[in-house]
Amino acid sequence: MNQTPVSCIPNASKMSKAKKVLEEAREIKNPELDLTDKGISTFEEMPGLLNMTYITRLTLTHNKLKTVPPGLANLTNLEILTLANNNLEDLPLSLSSMPKLRILNLSFNKLYGLPRGFGAFPVLEVLDLTYNNLNEKNLPGNFFMMETLRALYLGDNDFEYLSPEIKNLKNLQILVLRENDLIELPKEIGELSRLRELNVQGNRLTILPPEIGNLDMITSKSVFRFDGNEWVTPIADQLQVGVGHLMDYIRTETYRILYGRYLTNKPEIPPPCVDKAKKISRIR
Amino acid sequence: MSPTPMPSLVGGMSFDNMMCSRCGEGFEPHEKIVNSTGELWHQQCFVCAQCFRPFREGIFYEFENRKYCEHDFQVLFAPCCGKCGEFVIGRVIKAMNANWHPGCFRCEMCSGELADSGFIRNAGRALCHECNAKVKAVGLGKYVCHKCHGLIDDQPLKFRGEVYHPYHFNCTACGVELDSSAREVRSRPGFANNDMNELYCLRCHDKMGIPICGACRRPIEERVVTALGKHWHVEHFVCAKCEKPFFGHRHYEKKGLAYCETHYHQLFGNLCFVCNQVIAGDVFTALNKAWCVHHFACSMCDQKMNQKTKFYEFDLKPACKKCYEKLPVEFRRRLRRQHEATPKKLIPA
Repeated sequence: MNQTPVSCIPNASKMSKAKKVLEEAREIKNPELDLTDKGISTFEEMPGLLNMTYITRLTLTHNKLKTVPPGLANLTNLEILTLANNNLEDLPLSLSSMPKLRILNLSFNKLYGLPRGFGAFPVLEVLDLTYNNLNEKNLPGNFFMMETLRALYLGDNDFEYLSPEIKNLKNLQILVLRENDLIELPKEIGELSRLRELNVQGNRLTILPPEIGNLDMITSKSVFRFDGNEWVTPIADQLQVGVGHLMDYIRTETYRILYGRYLTNKPEIPPPCVDKAKKISRIR
Repeated sequence: MSPTPMPSLVGGMSFDNMMCSRCGEGFEPHEKIVNSTGELWHQQCFVCAQCFRPFREGIFYEFENRKYCEHDFQVLFAPCCGKCGEFVIGRVIKAMNANWHPGCFRCEMCSGELADSGFIRNAGRALCHECNAKVKAVGLGKYVCHKCHGLIDDQPLKFRGEVYHPYHFNCTACGVELDSSAREVRSRPGFANNDMNELYCLRCHDKMGIPICGACRRPIEERVVTALGKHWHVEHFVCAKCEKPFFGHRHYEKKGLAYCETHYHQLFGNLCFVCNQVIAGDVFTALNKAWCVHHFACSMCDQKMNQKTKFYEFDLKPACKKCYEKLPVEFRRRLRRQHEATPKKLIPA
């Protein structure tokens, strides 16, 4: 076994905990490595991890990791990578080259952006970026090129606008934009024909593009959450009765005309409704 | 060997005028004279032209004015049958450049005797009138009525394996004259033999309660598939998406339509949220999603969960209690406020 020398010596007892898990996993060649809540703050506390190329799942939730080494991409068999609830501020460029990565969980971190070329993942299906500091300005240019994506979690971030390029995510079934600062939704959302979960709760939305009506909202499998926005009265009234009623309404000619009028005479942009100053992701 | 027969001078009937048809000599008084079909012979002259022996039992065969015994005649002149190769004695059918026994000359299609009914030469074959008409009709793309043998100009009626003019038949139930919309009903289901089939007009047929296929709207006479509250031909009961017949394979119903396993899962999402594969065994269904039993886990720590595990949800993802408690306090507070605002109760499932 090729063990990298340990260069920093933080908490000795915690470190041994992580090491112990690693050694046990190596012995039985367990392809699923669970290092949840081991107090790990750097990858150097996990000697030899990057040589365990046979692993398919790596879970590092509830640790104190600030960075991820580029060498993580050597784990070419990795399919599920969970780095939830760490202190990650940035990510290596190499991550998006991981050939088999299907599920990537980066929720509850402190990401202020994503590396260039992040959208190059060849087979990524689920991307969880909940509770970070992302917005439309700090996303890389190819972010919406991930055609294989079926779930995109962007709740608790700072988006004011969503790129019309969202329509490229043809396989998207789940889109969560809960508690951002969204001022409007692009009409291209209506082109996501497989969408069955849409959550725009707690934003600053006032009107909905009628194209949203193209989505199959009637299927019992669909969940759509629109509450906690500053909807114009006709939308708010329909929503009061139910999402189904709202959907029927925005498909009507009446709404189409009304929407045209709102476009020329836009409703006032409401102020941010969530106080994000207290978000832990903000604290450096 | 072939003395020229002298012209017979029978007329005056005087003894002096009578001559032997063979040798031309007169007859002695009291001499025995053979008389056959108005001609006279010396007894020793009335012999086979070939073997010069008297005819056995007086039976002779005549050919070109010469008489032969049975044996020599057959050897020399009797025709051979074009079919069985035997001599043809008696009636000979001369046709198609050959000789035939009347019983051997038959229609090449239906084998009916042609000797008395006449025949038609069709592409080197001897056919009866009916078969010839049939061949001609097929050439024109039409049918010949099995009853009247006339050409069927309109739609034919198929009945017990043959085609007919529909107007030759009447409805078994109401007696009305039939048209081509009439239906043949297998009155003894399961029997391959058509002999028991009956014809009914469309109206009576519809009243008989024969199942109608939900896809093609035609009656079902073979195996009936009953599904979705309708009857179907086996081959017409198909997946609403790929249109392939189920042929007895499992189908899945949704909103009055049937789907094959693959397309049902593809369309209605019984794919595992983690592996994105069709769930073969038991399914965990929660939060608008489905999981394979061994993929149902906390969305944050990947710890396996079962139906007894209490979990929290946010953004319709499951989180175990341990993970939830590690989330930022301010986040949990917002989440709680949200749940209080929405009437739905989602924790724990």
